Amino acid sequence: MAAITTDVLVIGGGATGAGVAWDAALRGLDVVLSDRKDFSEGTSGRFHGLLHSGGRYAVKDPQAAVECIGENVILRRVAADNIEDTGGFFVTTPFDDPAYADRFVQGCRDTGIPCEEIDVAVALREEPRLNPEISRAFRVPDASMDIWKTVWALARGARDRGARLLTYHETVAIHRSGDEVTGARLRDARSGEEVDVEAAVTVSATGAWAGRIADMAGIEGVRVLPGKGIMIAMNHRLVNTVINRCQMPTDGDIIVPIRTVSVIGTTDVHVDDPDDRTIAQDQVDAMLEDGERLVPGFKRARALRVWSGVRPLFEDAKADDVSTRDVTRAHALLDHAERDGVSRFVTITGGKVTTFRLMAEETVDAVCRQLGRGGPCLTRTQALPGSEDGRFYHVSERLERKERHLQEDQLVCECELIPRARLEKAFEQRDTHNLDDIRRYLRLGMGPCQGGFCIYRATGILHQLDGMTAEEANHTLREFLEERWHGVWPILYGDQLRQARLDEWIFQGVLDVEHVQ
Amino acid sequence: MRYDVVVIGAGVAGLTAGARLAEGGARVCVLAKGMGSTHLAPGTVDVLGYDGGERVESPASVLPDFVSRHPDHPYALVSVAPALEWFAACVERGPKPGYRYVGSLEHNVLLPTALGAARPSALVPTTMAGGDLGDPAPICVVGFRVLRDFHASLCAANVARSGVEARGVEIDLNLHTGRAEENSLGIARHFDDPGFRSAFSTRVAPSLRPGERLGLPAVLGVRDPQGALTDLEQRLERPLFEIPTLPPSAPGIRVYDILRAALRSAGGRLVIGAEVVGASRDGTRVTSVRAHTSGHDHVYEARWFVLATGGVASGAIELGSDWVARENALGLSLSGAPADGAARFDPDYFAEQPLNRIGVAVDSSLTGEGTDNVLVAGAALPGAIPWREGSGEGISLSTGFAAARTVLEREGAAAAA
Repeated sequence: MAAITTDVLVIGGGATGAGVAWDAALRGLDVVLSDRKDFSEGTSGRFHGLLHSGGRYAVKDPQAAVECIGENVILRRVAADNIEDTGGFFVTTPFDDPAYADRFVQGCRDTGIPCEEIDVAVALREEPRLNPEISRAFRVPDASMDIWKTVWALARGARDRGARLLTYHETVAIHRSGDEVTGARLRDARSGEEVDVEAAVTVSATGAWAGRIADMAGIEGVRVLPGKGIMIAMNHRLVNTVINRCQMPTDGDIIVPIRTVSVIGTTDVHVDDPDDRTIAQDQVDAMLEDGERLVPGFKRARALRVWSGVRPLFEDAKADDVSTRDVTRAHALLDHAERDGVSRFVTITGGKVTTFRLMAEETVDAVCRQLGRGGPCLTRTQALPGSEDGRFYHVSERLERKERHLQEDQLVCECELIPRARLEKAFEQRDTHNLDDIRRYLRLGMGPCQGGFCIYRATGILHQLDGMTAEEANHTLREFLEERWHGVWPILYGDQLRQARLDEWIFQGVLDVEHVQ
Repeated sequence: MRYDVVVIGAGVAGLTAGARLAEGGARVCVLAKGMGSTHLAPGTVDVLGYDGGERVESPASVLPDFVSRHPDHPYALVSVAPALEWFAACVERGPKPGYRYVGSLEHNVLLPTALGAARPSALVPTTMAGGDLGDPAPICVVGFRVLRDFHASLCAANVARSGVEARGVEIDLNLHTGRAEENSLGIARHFDDPGFRSAFSTRVAPSLRPGERLGLPAVLGVRDPQGALTDLEQRLERPLFEIPTLPPSAPGIRVYDILRAALRSAGGRLVIGAEVVGASRDGTRVTSVRAHTSGHDHVYEARWFVLATGGVASGAIELGSDWVARENALGLSLSGAPADGAARFDPDYFAEQPLNRIGVAVDSSLTGEGTDNVLVAGAALPGAIPWREGSGEGISLSTGFAAARTVLEREGAAAAA
């Protein structure tokens, strides 16, 4: 069996885990970053894309609000390439308690969130699709953040500083020697081969799965409550500013414009299994109704895709409400040396994507304490790869690039404007044969046609490039189609059903993918 | 405007109904929102390729049992053979010299798809017949760098796995368009030019080995595909065939050209860009339809109407966000939809989707439920999953053909009375 030795083994390649890898690598530590699947395939990759200003928590959870606005300012500086500076509105709709707005303003003042009341007329001029019945509007520094791009920038930055990246490596055992955790055994999901990682410190950044990893280490009582939320991506940018309802946080009260779509979120339902990704029809219906309250005509717009993610939430002993929204959104750092007398093992869970950097900082501080070495945290000021020039991502960036190179390169995916050379480079950079990995990396197949045209093209290019077998190519194509279907069938109505039917004609009719040998 | 019959939809079903009605002496106008699915389809005539996921060797021998198991299928209401015969004859007297459809209901031909799957069709154009995978002759699949919609190496690798020796080659086409990409229709227009074909032959010849058939994406011209085929086969001294790929489809557009010519030569009229958005009724009779065109609406009166607007893919049948399905042109009743509260879709992509068989409710004469004078044809009909069964053209031709016959018979009966 292969064996590797490192300073820090990070289990879990979401925003937090990748953030830990980046932070630790910047402090000069040797890092192995692992995930059972692709990086940001779990909770991180399944959120709505909102970089919080903190406004959402200004009344309900002031500490979370303070953390959010602090991290918002830092991430705008160090991760600009992954952030679109959309700004955000909190608006009082006819469905909201009008008294909340004054409490909101006070909450923002108390927590240091820049918040400016603007004329309803101004808000409607900037966002003409917004419900014209709104009575008040506030501007806050919300933004949208491409989490896949962020996580890969973190992982790439760590790799450039010597970190080893192990995607599709599931943790099958945590090695323990007496009161010490000495590393873990990982299994390569693709080859079935196992590798022992001997680590000076092991970090579990596994979010809703943290209880399982702690169990493997023989540590009791790490219980994370998975809170499932669904989100729907609507075609086009129905709004260009993040829109929040000015009320106590509830279901379906945020619309986030991100990349080429607008995402509405979210719900919050307690589930027992963090891998439970089922989507209930009544939740979809409710979400569409919620969208209608913010943007009249929302239900007639085209829904592209629905997905669910599980938040890792610690149960608050004081909350006897069954709703997980009343459980703290704050993160929890468990230094198991202090908590359980088991050294060289740290769990970080809870929290939210916006505060991933802070969580990573605190985690690596704890790692350094255990190691007795490592420098100060640099992630507040060190820009991520790609963000060095401090320029925010702009929604028309790919179009601009395409216009510059109009004659030279083919578009593989028209919806997301992905040129062939970019795709070929991505296969190489990501060292993957999996089209779904490429989807997360480049947004391949994420536009209105949901892969109808680009996926055959990408499969053909992949097959030609790598000399992969036809069998493997067929497999990844079929897997992609099946994966896409999971995210579209609950929202198939109107034009998107029509699109899905065209895609079926192409794949099942013209290409006969079902009966390829 | 007054007609004997207004046909709504200009796909295979609508054009077939329109042409047959015109041939029968009716004053016919075909109205359509846009082009039909011909422009997206491979251009073969698929009658029944799969039965419960199993490949069908002979549609003629399977069909009787198939309809007894699927009594709501359009094939239970019509016969296929006369429509296919009529279509083959249309092609023969049509605008593409020498271009023919070959094959029969007795035996499906297996042709490679762009993915290299072996796809069963009853009738295939002469430009594709050389790809018969029942023929053991080795194949060289040639793709073009400029055509991102066709990948020769993947196609060939899968063909090879089905037992016919095959390899893929990619060449540069030198279109001199200044663009890095061109779709198969754009390339097909180049292949209409003998000078281009000559240059292409010179370019591709060194890649070919003795004894190999040459498979190309379906780009052998739009105007004169048979001329292009014969010319290239002579130059390259080997059989050559087309492989259908992602839309737009040159062979599909030829089908449209052929059926349109049949309609027009029989005196029928075709109006594209006229979306039927409503109807006037007198009890159970539709008396006129209102078509939305650029600028203003037109009213078309007729004694008979044929609804051939397609299914969900064309937008003819729409499922709203309230999860209620509607037929958009005439507001006819639907059948084959899952019951209220029942699952519309299965989470497994390759499973049979409950909503797949939805269509306009008809009686055994294809008359729309609640009407006396509206016949329904093609993908608008319930009970079939044409993209999975490999039955699209067979259903559209046979039901378009049958709808026309029913109208003509009833007109005749009315005149006699």
